[in-house]
Parts: sequence; C-alpha cells; structure tokens
Amino acid sequence: MDDTFDHDLIHAIFKLVWSRRAHKSEANKPMDVEFGAGTSKKNRSTTANASALKVSCELLRVFVTEAVQRAAIIAEAEGIDNIEPTHLERILPQLLLDF
Amino acid sequence: MESGDGGGEGADFDKDEEAETKADLLRDRFRLSVISIANAEAKKAGMEMSDPVVACVADLAFKYTEQLAKDVELFAQHAGRKSVNMEDVILSAHRNEHLTSLLRSFSQELKGKEPQTDRKRKRS
Repeated sequence: MDDTFDHDLIHAIFKLVWSRRAHKSEANKPMDVEFGAGTSKKNRSTTANASALKVSCELLRVFVTEAVQRAAIIAEAEGIDNIEPTHLERILPQLLLDF
Repeated sequence: MESGDGGGEGADFDKDEEAETKADLLRDRFRLSVISIANAEAKKAGMEMSDPVVACVADLAFKYTEQLAKDVELFAQHAGRKSVNMEDVILSAHRNEHLTSLLRSFSQELKGKEPQTDRKRKRS
C-alpha cells in the first residue's frame, strides 16, 4: 500500500511554523490595524481541521513522488537504474514551478 | 539540556532554543517519512535512489511544508478564519491545474467517506 505522511507529524510542523510567525508578529507590533480582519483579535495561533491535514499529507506525498518519478524518467532515459543528483537537478526547476 | 524552571520573563531565548530542538526532531521524523516514501516510489520505477538525492528531496519537502504552512495560514486569515480548511490547502496548489484537480478529487473522496462535514453551508 502507499506510504504517506503521518498527520500528526505534519500538524506538528504546521504548528511550529505558525507559532514562530505569531511570536514574530507579537514582538513587532501587538496591534496591526492595517493588516485586516484576521488579526484584529488577540493573536491566537492558527489551527487546521482534520481534512485540511489529510489533504496536506496527500499534497506532500505527491511532491515527493513527483520528484522521484520525474527524476526516474531522466535516469531511465540515460539507461541508468540509480537516481543521481544530476537527474534531480534536471527536473528541479519545473518541479518548483509546479508546486 | 538545561531545563529552565525560571522561564518567566526574558524566556524568549529559551523559547527559541526549545523551538529549535523541536524543529530538529520534527525534521528528522519528516526525513524518515520521505526516505520511505521516496524509496518505495523509486522501487516502483525499478530504480534506486542515491543517498544525496534522498537527502535533498527530504530537505526540499521540509522547506515546502514550511512554505505550505505559511500559505494556508495566509489564505485562512484572508478569508477571516482562524482555522485552515481543505479549500485553503487546495488553493495553495493553484500553480498546477493537474495538481489542483488531483487534490480536489482526493478531497471529494474524503467527503464521501465522512458524511459529517464541518461546514453545513457549501461555498461555491
């Protein structure tokens, strides 16, 4: 069966990023009026619901599989059965544009 | 590792260190997941991944995850919400139509499995 990311792991990483940002904005300005409706209340950190996490895990899984699949195509075209850094390099620009 | 029990004021430095350690742990766990997913995928293609390539993909994916977190937070805030939902995640994949439709069908499968959705009203 297909491996995928653990929801709790992704959730934990998200929370880390969000608390980092909340911490930063607290340090700069407690009340940023021009920022808009979202931050007019006290800066409680962002949360995510369960389905958002599931779709995020899927998105990340696709990112990894796309990277591997695209690099594999290049390697195959060269007749090599080992995916090497040069193969990854070739597909990286389009990968980053697509995601 | 020092355990700071006097962590009241001026605990910003401790908080940063704690966040760093947490981040490292998460990064390691994340890397392990990427390694298993990537190797399984390579195997499907009848290939093997060289170690530096896996490490690179893992780092990239982690950075992408951090970027994703920022993006979905912005989208949710833009919509006046504190909680990120599926639409925010799908929106973050807007650069590639194929990816968007992939995620959309995935999300519809999810909705099909769970008859109880968070939101009663459907936004078109």
